[in-house]
Amino acid sequence: MSGGGIARWLRGWRPAVSMAARNLRRNRVRTALAVLGVCIGVLAVAALGIFGNVLALGADDAIGDIGTQVVVSPNADAGVESLSAADVAAIRRAVDDPAVGDPAVVPLYSDNAVVEGVTSQTFATIYGVEEPGLAFEAAEGRLPERHRQGAIVGAGVAEDLGVEAGDTVGIAGTRVRVVAVLAESQTFSPVAPDDAVFLPESAFAADGYAQALVVAESGETARAAADAIREGVNAREERVDLFELAAIVDEINGFFDLLSTFLLGLGAISLVVAGVSILNVMLMSTVERRQEIGVMRAVGVTRRDVLRVLLAEAGLIGAAGAAAGTLLTVLLVAGLVAATPTVDAALVLDPTNGYYLLLALGFGVGVGLVSGAYPAWKAANERPVEALRS
Amino acid sequence: MYSVELRGATKRYPGGGAEPVVALDDVDFAVEPGEFVAVVGPSGSGKSTLLNVLGLLDDPTEGWRLLGGTDVTGLTVAERTAARKESIGFVFQDFHLLPTLTAVENVALPTAFDPGDESDRAADLLDRFGLGDRLDHEPSELSGGQKQRVAIARSLINDPAVLLADEPTGNLDTETGESILAEFERVKEEGVAVVAVTHDPLVEEFADRVVELTDGVLEGGIPDETDPTDDASPAPDADSATAPEER
Repeated sequence: MSGGGIARWLRGWRPAVSMAARNLRRNRVRTALAVLGVCIGVLAVAALGIFGNVLALGADDAIGDIGTQVVVSPNADAGVESLSAADVAAIRRAVDDPAVGDPAVVPLYSDNAVVEGVTSQTFATIYGVEEPGLAFEAAEGRLPERHRQGAIVGAGVAEDLGVEAGDTVGIAGTRVRVVAVLAESQTFSPVAPDDAVFLPESAFAADGYAQALVVAESGETARAAADAIREGVNAREERVDLFELAAIVDEINGFFDLLSTFLLGLGAISLVVAGVSILNVMLMSTVERRQEIGVMRAVGVTRRDVLRVLLAEAGLIGAAGAAAGTLLTVLLVAGLVAATPTVDAALVLDPTNGYYLLLALGFGVGVGLVSGAYPAWKAANERPVEALRS
Repeated sequence: MYSVELRGATKRYPGGGAEPVVALDDVDFAVEPGEFVAVVGPSGSGKSTLLNVLGLLDDPTEGWRLLGGTDVTGLTVAERTAARKESIGFVFQDFHLLPTLTAVENVALPTAFDPGDESDRAADLLDRFGLGDRLDHEPSELSGGQKQRVAIARSLINDPAVLLADEPTGNLDTETGESILAEFERVKEEGVAVVAVTHDPLVEEFADRVVELTDGVLEGGIPDETDPTDDASPAPDADSATAPEER
């Protein structure tokens, strides 16, 4: 359609919209209630949509890290009890490829022991690690490049025992100085660093590693690394098991997508109810104004123009409700963010939330037009001679 | 040439029983430009049906209908709407003004969806009917006589050939009714054919011709009955009908 065509088309609607606005003002309460219905429906769609999206974004934010880790452990089914130095070397060779992002490989010895603080004690996993800085971050103290002496304590253990960097802890009867306390882990990981203590490899007399941690830059490179290890290390014999978190992340994301859709569906139900209320209002209104519409038809107003007036009425109800509902959603979300500091404002301000606002706005206007279509069509097509008789 | 004309028009409605109700029975009726015809008859005699058929609101079951010499018997809905707008003005017993529109807007209603603005012409018409100071009043602020004047002004906005009035004085007192009928006299002097169906003897006084409809049968429907066939009405032919453009 050309620009002039659109302008002409819009001009054709102007008298209809003006007449529709006046008709809506005749029964303000009824109009207001119908607008309120759409407003609530739009609020429900937009707010629940944004709620689901924020949940998904927050979850993605929290579990995004674990998707970057691959845990390699010996395949006990194949009789492999531990990872040998040769296995670790094979893993390093397999991922030593720019295509998989050259991830760090951190082999871990593993044992369990009671860890004693000054006044209390706790049961913890004890790992032996050489290069802790590749996989973990310190909250207190500094992670040594090569772990040669002392203990690095997970956040949970440090809290339980009330120890800080510089204190000593007792492990299996020996006192060891705490060189660093790890930052609380933001993510779920089978290594569970919060409840662990990391000692140098020399503290372990074991003849093989319990597992190896492959730390990649992103979920994609982690998956590529896992594939490379499967091909490189497991080619002849299934020596290792891979615990790949990226697949779990995908499943979790899938769940949140489903949750979002479910919440949107809930909102949509209230919008459908609002549509029914518009349908009801328009049907009542056209029945009440049957004679007026008959007069318009009798004096030469075309069916199309009568249809336009009535559609404009329903459209105006939908548009007003949608605008109010969208505004209300923005205020509600802003209020919630202001009132609950735990909600990350960055998640709420994410541009994808705007998509749900627009979606709800469009649905609101659409519901108005769809619900108004039948009453408008019915009234416009009634024979004026019948309409005038009553 | 007659402004509006029916030839052998019959209108049957499917009644409750097996026999259809005959509202118009082979009616011949014609009005000349500038003629004021009153149609009288008891209730249920078919007066409203006659007006609806004349006004292109309803189609005759049989027979022909001509508007300004053109056959308009079998028009589509859109063509009928356009023809009504162009050639026919309606005045109703209950005035039938739109309550949300001002006097001027009510008068301009038939043209409200057209590109041009007919407000000035509507205001002139209202001024002519003595409502120059009521232009922006809504119907609820007008008396019965004033409302009927607004309705007459509305019926004239498109310079119609025919003005059809259904009991135009039915809801008015005698004095106001007389003034409305005086307005009809002025309208017909401009060459508009006026047809009023009525029970009111006052209307008969003002009419040039009174015809009586009884059980769908009309007597004296044609002005000069001496030879109805020598008139300029050609045998109606559907192909010759000018089909107004859909708007």
